Order: sequence, then structure tokens, then C-alpha cells
Amino acid sequence: MKAYISSAITISPQKTFKNPLFLDEVEVYTDNRLTCIEPDYSEAIDPRLIRRMSRIIKMSVASALACLKEAAVAIPDAIVTGTAYGCLEDTSVFLSNMIEYSEEPITPTAFVQSTHNTIGAQVALLIKCRQYNNTFVSGGASFENALLDAMMLLAENDNSNVLVGGMDEITDMSHIVLSRMGLYKRKPASNLDLFKTASKGTINGEGAAFFLLANKPSSRDLACVDAVTTFYKPTDITETANYIKTFLTTRAINCSDIDLLITGNNGDTKNDEIYAQIQTSVLADIPSVNYKHLCGEYPTSTAFAVWLGSNIIKNNAIPDALNFKPISKSKINKVLIYNHYQNTYHSLILLSSC
Amino acid sequence: MDKLIADLKEQIAAQLKIKNIEPSDIGDDEPLFGDNLGLDSLDVLELIVLLKQNYKLKVSNAEDGPKVFQSVRTMAEFITANQTQNV
Repeated sequence: MKAYISSAITISPQKTFKNPLFLDEVEVYTDNRLTCIEPDYSEAIDPRLIRRMSRIIKMSVASALACLKEAAVAIPDAIVTGTAYGCLEDTSVFLSNMIEYSEEPITPTAFVQSTHNTIGAQVALLIKCRQYNNTFVSGGASFENALLDAMMLLAENDNSNVLVGGMDEITDMSHIVLSRMGLYKRKPASNLDLFKTASKGTINGEGAAFFLLANKPSSRDLACVDAVTTFYKPTDITETANYIKTFLTTRAINCSDIDLLITGNNGDTKNDEIYAQIQTSVLADIPSVNYKHLCGEYPTSTAFAVWLGSNIIKNNAIPDALNFKPISKSKINKVLIYNHYQNTYHSLILLSSC
Repeated sequence: MDKLIADLKEQIAAQLKIKNIEPSDIGDDEPLFGDNLGLDSLDVLELIVLLKQNYKLKVSNAEDGPKVFQSVRTMAEFITANQTQNV
């Protein structure tokens, strides 16, 4: 069953929030950390409530509320979120406090706000939504699982619309820890050159993106989500190719049907080798673009990719920010997003025009 | 007492992350809960922890809570009375 994307809002390291122009310029970073460009939240959230919210909560709540507003929906039938790290800043605060105060009683707010489902709950409280509310915490497949749940709710229940979001944040602590694990490039380079430097590591990223999915079309739809699938830890490239082939054949889709492939290349040689192999085999000859030079690498970056893909379909244009050579097709009807997170969580998301 | 009240205002503003209000703008006798500062039940827990962490004091009788946390002055009076007792 199709899910119609009535609205898509993201706060990202690019000027994407409340910007009527679709990626008209690229924000350039020369560090290995891409931080979100945050709006003035006082316009979106009651200032009395902001004081307790960490950065990821503010980014997510502002995106969610803007998404509902854009779709002209006051209360959705369900709220589903996906996050790998949850509210990491608050987690860091209360764990640090536990150590600092020798496990004596500590301030409750950081603990209360640190749980992964804080964002879904905050949005529900703000709009007084007492419907289904669920959060998926499954590493690099967190957003995809939220999306799958939303699509199943639309297909199998009476839900007419679902608010679905994916979000993760960088904190100073997480950046240090993940850097030690060798995830990021040691030599800072411009994000614009991410795919030019053949080296180990990527650039850290973050973002919050929300979508209002509906089971019926409307005049404001950006695109449709046709299908979502995930697979975990494929043993080799053949197994990866087989998963992708099965995804396409069960839906009777040929490569020639796909107008654009959005891949999760992140500038890490080993990581990107998988995309290179797939693009010379099962997904050969499909025009493709990368997106992680815009948002960085993080477990729920596919939420940014869905925002990007749905806007490409809606605008029928690929922004210059993606360094894309013009394609011969006059209409972009089908966009396939293929991403893997550390060759562990793989996902395919198929979008189409409505 | 004045010094303690001023310190408390700083600590409350920092602990509760009160924005748009300077610590000095909080009245000595202004009710902490209600419309003015907009504090709520979760903030009570924050204030209990504040007393424990900064002054090593515990509000042992729950019924005393509303009296102790009525205003910055009542908090200061509680601290003064109990720290003197402890000495």
C-alpha cells in the first residue's frame, strides 16, 4: 500500500527549515562534524516549555509541529518516531551527575528527558494526542522501522494519517567517543570534497525530520512511499545484491523504471565500495546522487534522504547542491534510496510521484 | 540573609534553566509556583535536589514542602534555621 507524504519538514545542517527554496545553497563545513542550523524556537514552542528541552528535543518538536501545520492536521492518528541515540545530551548529563554527586539523588529532569521516547511523548503532550505512540530504537534501521510501522498502521487499521519522524543528535561526548572508534576522518576537509578524498572515515552528522503520511492522496502531497525494506548484516556483496534484486522483482520494477538513485555514500572508502559494486551490478545504469555531504553520517540519515527524495519528486528538479549531471528524463517519477549504516543495517526506500 | 537570598535566586535560575528572567528579577516573596515563574511539580524535585546538593539539607517532612518552597525567602529561612540546628 502507498503512503502519501502530505508534508515533510527537516532541521538539518543545511538551511532546510522554513526555507521556501529547496537547497538553493550549500552550507560548507571544514570540520568532521556537521551541526544542525537551528531556528528561533520561540516562534514554534512555548518559551516556558523550551527551558527543559535539550537540542534534539527542540529540533524534533519544532519539526513535528511544523510538519503538522503544513499538512493542516491538528492531531494525527498516530505518532511514530525512530532514533538510535535518543536524547543523548540528557543521558550524558544525568550519567555525569551520578558520578559527580557520588550516586546521591540527582536532578530528575535530565533523566526524565533522556529516554528515547521523549520526543514522541513531548509532541503528543503538546498537541494533546492520545493516540498510538511508538518509538523504534534499532540502530541504523530506527527510522526505517518507524516508517514501516507507520505504513502498516495506514494499511491495516483505520488510521488515516500518521506523523513519523527520524532524529539523532551529536553531543561533544558522543563525537569524542565515536571519533576514538575511528568513524570520522582525521584530517578535516570540506564537506563538498567528501567524495573526492579516498580515505578512511566519514563526517559526523545529525538531524530531525518529520513526515505526515496519509492513506489517501491530497493536492498538497510531495510524493508517495511505495515500499520500505531493511536487511541486516549481509554476509557478502552477493547477498546484498540478492536482497536488492528481490526487492525490485517482487514489485515488478526494472532499473530503467527508477529515475534516480539516492545512495548513502559517506566518503569512507570501505563503506562506499559497497555502493560502487551494487551500482555496477543490480542497480547499474541508474542516475545517482549522494546526500551525506549535506547532512553527515548518522543512524537515521535516511530520514533526510526521504525529505530530499520527496522534494526532488515534488519539484521535479535535482538541486545543484547534489552535483548532479542533468538527466534525459523530463519527469522524475521514481526515486530509490539505498543506504547502509556500517554495512550492518541496509535499507531500501522507494518513493514515487503521486 | 540577603546574600543567601541572592545566591538562591542564581541557583534556582540556573538549575531550572529559567529563561528571559534575570535572577535579580525574582522577588524575595514572589510565589515560586503559579503563573509568575511558571514552575511545576517537576521543579519541586529540582528544588529538593538543589537543597540537598548545595546545602546538604533534606525536607524530611513532605507536609513542610509547600511552606519551604513558597518563595525564595521561605527557602532561605529554612536553610538558615536548619543549618544553624545542624551546627
